[in-house]
Amino acid sequence: MPVTQKLSCVVDRVVSHGDGVYTLTLRPERPVPRFQAGQFLHLALDRYDPTGFWPESRVFSIASSPSRRDAVTITYAVHGPFTQRMERELTEGQPAWIKLPYGDFVIDGGADVALFAGGTGVTAFTAFLEALPADMPHRVTLAYGARTSDLLIYRDVVERSAARLASLQVMYFVEDAAGAMTAAMHPGRVSVEAVWPRLARPLETHFYISGPPPMLRSIGGDLRALGAPAEAIHIDAWE
Amino acid sequence: MSSSRRLREEIAALVRQYYQEQFSGRTFNPDADLVHYAGRVFDAEELCNLVDSSLDFFLTANRYAERFEADFADYLGLSNALLVNSGSSANLVALTALTSAKLRDRRLQPGDEVLTVAAGFPTTLAPILQNNLVPVFVDVSLGDYTADPDQLREAIGPRTRAIMMAHTLGVPFDLDTVGELAKKHDLWVVEDNCDALGSRYRGKLTGTYGHLSTFSFYPAHHITMGEGGAVATNDDSLGRIARSFRDWGRDCYCAGGENNTCGTRFSQQFGTLPYGFDHKYVYSHIGYNLKVTDMQAAIGCAQLAKLDAFVAARRANFDRLSRVLEPFADRLLLPRGTPHSEPSWFGFAITVQPNAGFTRADLVRFLEAHRIETRSLFAGNLLRHPAFQGIPHRIVRDLANTDVVTNDTFFVGVYPGLDAARLDRMADVFSRFMRGERAGTAAGSGAA
Repeated sequence: MPVTQKLSCVVDRVVSHGDGVYTLTLRPERPVPRFQAGQFLHLALDRYDPTGFWPESRVFSIASSPSRRDAVTITYAVHGPFTQRMERELTEGQPAWIKLPYGDFVIDGGADVALFAGGTGVTAFTAFLEALPADMPHRVTLAYGARTSDLLIYRDVVERSAARLASLQVMYFVEDAAGAMTAAMHPGRVSVEAVWPRLARPLETHFYISGPPPMLRSIGGDLRALGAPAEAIHIDAWE
Repeated sequence: MSSSRRLREEIAALVRQYYQEQFSGRTFNPDADLVHYAGRVFDAEELCNLVDSSLDFFLTANRYAERFEADFADYLGLSNALLVNSGSSANLVALTALTSAKLRDRRLQPGDEVLTVAAGFPTTLAPILQNNLVPVFVDVSLGDYTADPDQLREAIGPRTRAIMMAHTLGVPFDLDTVGELAKKHDLWVVEDNCDALGSRYRGKLTGTYGHLSTFSFYPAHHITMGEGGAVATNDDSLGRIARSFRDWGRDCYCAGGENNTCGTRFSQQFGTLPYGFDHKYVYSHIGYNLKVTDMQAAIGCAQLAKLDAFVAARRANFDRLSRVLEPFADRLLLPRGTPHSEPSWFGFAITVQPNAGFTRADLVRFLEAHRIETRSLFAGNLLRHPAFQGIPHRIVRDLANTDVVTNDTFFVGVYPGLDAARLDRMADVFSRFMRGERAGTAAGSGAA
């Protein structure tokens, strides 16, 4: 794990995606430390006094590229008291504290990989997708689901990556299929059943799962049931 | 402004005043003062940081340690730098990290061989033995005192798994050969950079070539925090393993006073522990506690800001001594860098030539009697010391030059605290001896 740092930030930009989902761009006082795609940060709302202890915080995947040192981007959905405070208090120009980088959810690009992303969980994969080399020798499959097609908020990043990477195949899943759907979109939740037949070498593929806890459990269980080795299943789970 | 903030500022102002009173403006008296071989070089900033940190009373590593580790990693251009309580601890942590089971079949196992030299400081060698590995000694070249590259090639055996050596007195060892051997034979490389902070090889900082590198911040070194050291690596897995060995062997990487930075403190499975056992108390290694205090790091932050100037001063002092001693090169072997290197000199090593007409003891006694501090090139041949007799080891050819180092080599200082007056004094004393003067050597010879 690289050297972790605590940084004071200013909220530079807030994008509301609707349905209580927001993307924040935070501009820190000092350059963002080196991190790897898939790692996360802690965000605190109460002022951090560097001479004392770190205040209450929550963890968020870093959605922006590691090559960007002037800002970090996170996406969150309002669920509980902390994210409700974030919604109220983190408006443009407001201060926040972050400490980073943390986490082992770093994708090994040395094998075929299948990425299962539910909702804002896709942020664990966006930096990886953007950093993939055009001549990536291994196959990358992304199964990306959300409640509505409008909440596939990183679709532009995914589309950009797919346009330049022949080795990337993308499957979208939309639970509420009443909205705008395209041919690439599957109705319903992200499912192993839909993805497994699309994998060239499923038993040699490494699986990465990021999303809400019920999805982590169900996808993980389904993969194991199909014979995926336990060491090939990587889950981005936080308490 | 809060009253505590105002008080801190008042205290800082007083500390600056104290520095002026106590430490500033001292002049050198050649008739009474020692010309040290090394020492602390500091100004009011170090004192202010130290007091500022003490007022936090966090005591264990905190904001200054975090800042030092980040700035030091940036200086090196590496992703990981972790503070430890000495350069020796850094060596212990770095080499022990390579024994981690997390490295699977690449881990060092008891009986594996590590290439090194016998002419050096004991704690480059000690971790090899402490991990039940077998040192393989190659001889050094006189003048640069680093491993002979031909002997390194010759030393590779079926159980050779690593190379761990120091850049002696700031002189980079042959990193081309070491890199080539590491690649060809899949060897780990640990650079003991304790005496070489700021040295470069082919334009790149030493301490950035190996899988792991180590640094010392003891007062004699390029920067100081009293007691202190660091381990650096660009490999995040090795960084985490090294951190674990430093921090009791625990699997958790939370800093002191932090909880659940991994977000999975109570939801992991380890060994045969019950599921969800507190990650803070899960141990993946048999480790140590080798951490620093924030007060040490606070001094280090002020020192790191001066590093470039310190390195430049060491080089300038080295050049000046070289010019002074060059006329005596027929009797004194003067130090030199290895090809492609720009040493950040730790000291100025001298080997008394066989035909000199005097011995090292004669010269050292004269220098010490005239208050010029000298040091042996550390332990000389470590295998001749009581602690290392009978250790399992292998020697390539012989250690003839290593024995020359033991018998005929010493060094004097080039540290930034040597001003023109002190360097003039050194030049004068050396010149008098080389012209034949021997008076005064019967007097107490000071510390050696």
